[in-house]
Amino acid sequence: MEPVISVRNLVKTYQLGEHQVQALRSVSLDVHKGEFVSVIGPSGSGKSTLMHILGCLDAPTSGQYLLDGKEVSKLSDDELSAVRNKQIGFVFQGFNLLTRTSALENVELPLLYGKENLSASERRKRAMDALAAVGLESRWEHHTNQLSGGQQQRVAIARALLNNPSILLADEPTGNLDSKTSLEVMDIFQKLQRERGITIVLITHEMDVAEYGSRIVSFKDGLIVSDVQNTQKATYTVETEVTVVVEELS
Amino acid sequence: MSRLARVSQINKTWHIASRSLRRNKLQSALTMTGMAIGVATVLAMMALGTGAQRAIQDQVRAAGMNMLIITAGNYQAQREAPPPDAIEMGKLQSPQPTLGDDFSLPRIHYAMPTASRLHTVLFHPEDDPFAVHDHPTARQRLGDSEAGLGAAATLTIADANEIRKISGVQYVSEGIHENVHVMNSDNKRWFTRVHGDDTVTPEIRRAWTFPHGRYFSASEERKHEQVVVLGVIVAQQLFGDANPVGKTITIWKQPFKVVGVIGSSSWLQTPDAGDDQFDAVYIPVTTMQSMLNLSKLNDITVTTVSTGDVTRVSKIVTTLLRQRHNIGGNSPDDFTVSTQASKALTKGSMRPEVAHAVTGNIAGLEKVTLDQLGKSLDRSSRTMTMLLVCIATVSLIVGGIGIMNIMLLSVTERTREIGIRRAVGAEEREVMAQFLMESVVLSIAGGLLGVFIGVAAALVISHLAHWSADVPFAAIAIAFGISTAVGIFFGYYPAREASRVPPLASLRYE
Repeated sequence: MEPVISVRNLVKTYQLGEHQVQALRSVSLDVHKGEFVSVIGPSGSGKSTLMHILGCLDAPTSGQYLLDGKEVSKLSDDELSAVRNKQIGFVFQGFNLLTRTSALENVELPLLYGKENLSASERRKRAMDALAAVGLESRWEHHTNQLSGGQQQRVAIARALLNNPSILLADEPTGNLDSKTSLEVMDIFQKLQRERGITIVLITHEMDVAEYGSRIVSFKDGLIVSDVQNTQKATYTVETEVTVVVEELS
Repeated sequence: MSRLARVSQINKTWHIASRSLRRNKLQSALTMTGMAIGVATVLAMMALGTGAQRAIQDQVRAAGMNMLIITAGNYQAQREAPPPDAIEMGKLQSPQPTLGDDFSLPRIHYAMPTASRLHTVLFHPEDDPFAVHDHPTARQRLGDSEAGLGAAATLTIADANEIRKISGVQYVSEGIHENVHVMNSDNKRWFTRVHGDDTVTPEIRRAWTFPHGRYFSASEERKHEQVVVLGVIVAQQLFGDANPVGKTITIWKQPFKVVGVIGSSSWLQTPDAGDDQFDAVYIPVTTMQSMLNLSKLNDITVTTVSTGDVTRVSKIVTTLLRQRHNIGGNSPDDFTVSTQASKALTKGSMRPEVAHAVTGNIAGLEKVTLDQLGKSLDRSSRTMTMLLVCIATVSLIVGGIGIMNIMLLSVTERTREIGIRRAVGAEEREVMAQFLMESVVLSIAGGLLGVFIGVAAALVISHLAHWSADVPFAAIAIAFGISTAVGIFFGYYPAREASRVPPLASLRYE
């Protein structure tokens, strides 16, 4: 089967003053439909850079990126916008929600930019459905600063899912969350993969988060150092929650 | 893109922009205030400026600078009729008379009663209704003469109608004037002037106000109705301070219904007993003609659209009336066209001979004085307009730069927001549209606010400074249109900057 994401010899170089920093040296990776790939590595290893390129937020210095068989470097800016709007959902470490804006309006945002012309009530309905999917329908009116970190990240996930993307990219989604909410968020990801067959690529530097993936890719100094299938997938169960609670208490 | 899609695109942009503006209330308020002050300044300046301009024009018109009065007859005290070889009016003598000629100074010469000219004193050609021309008929003349209009009642309503057709003529009013006793129902009497006039008279007398009621209407004039408008002096004499509208007064033993009272709004003219405008009553000229069985007019008052046009119009009127009255060759006019300038020159101190010599060339003189006056008025009003335009431009540029400044700041401040929008799929164009829409909405809202503030300011200033303010509708429309244009023009650059924010910006600017 053809991979959904296929990158070959991806290189990204930054100019930092007089120094050239090679964030990605030569990365090749294939992600197939329905996979849940955890990318793990220390900070500065280049995994975030890879993620931005995969999310069409940034362009590589050289190398090839095929998204659903299409050469991304040949897409126009408007086509890239459409990809970000429809095909890929992005979840950020810092949530990236609009401030002084209600949860509902934040979730609605992608619908304001698509080519679909939905009425205000249709937009609202779909945004409410997405909020319900992450269990936040009762908080739709709350402004982002009135929500906890976990709730904010769930709003961000609802926003990412709004246009039913085939790929969900998550850049350290649990980085700003405590361990309990982290687990809740990971559970949502796992459900999405299991129930909707969404392809997920997730970045983390914590191994216990990475364990939720079906495949673990390790990064170091801009290169992939290992790529293994994870057979003993972690799952969110009552037992794990109890373990977490016990750990927190001790 | 189909029309429907475009409309919904605009709707979406509007939705995004209005949410955004509400989110940034303080910023929006500041931008709007900047624009509002700009527009308010422009509008207040324009209002006060045009008000001042109008006030000057009104004073000039009130003083009659654009007015010419055509009086029936051509009789002037101590003046003889010109000899048959009289020089045509308006032209200087050329060639110059040679020395030794008996008539080297013809104008002064024929003004002196000599034996050879005596017959003209005894029998003025104009006094002979049969000899000069046949318009109007001798019978009518005699009838008018009996009615007290004098022998030379040569002007008719038909003449006035022809004058109305001359280009550059603003208003034409026919007039018959008499002295009468007016009496109220309590038999209180007052001796005053009655003017039979046209409905446009209030337009000619720009300094008139109506403390009570109105002027008589066109239909009242058409139906020869017995309605009367009182000058404020007459009203005071007959009714004191009470409102006389609806009451009846008696003129020539006939009842007349009072429809209005005329007062003065100009500081140049205060109503006074004995003056011709406010110690007078006005009735429709048609009523007066049918009541007194007249067909003639005493005078026709003409105003021109522009002050500098009086001389040209007076020439055309002269030619027209001479033609209509069948006056040919060197025969004298059977009417007199007079303007403020000629009145000023001939009235009072000047010796009759000199006055005559001067009035012989009056057209040229008028041209100098009136043209100069008209031109200097035009010049000063142009200067005023230029000044206003300059101030307006500066205020709008300041307002516009204010908008640009705040929008640019907001682009920097909102980099993260723009990045988020780009990350969820906003195209460059859509971000640009949002920011452009925001600045246009702000400047229109600011403009609207500015219109209110500006009009209010103009009214307050005019009230406090007793300066007339005039807010023309066009000024509001222009201020509004310009504020929109400023919003687009000065919002464009920040909007383009916003559209160039990269999608990754939301992560870099945290």
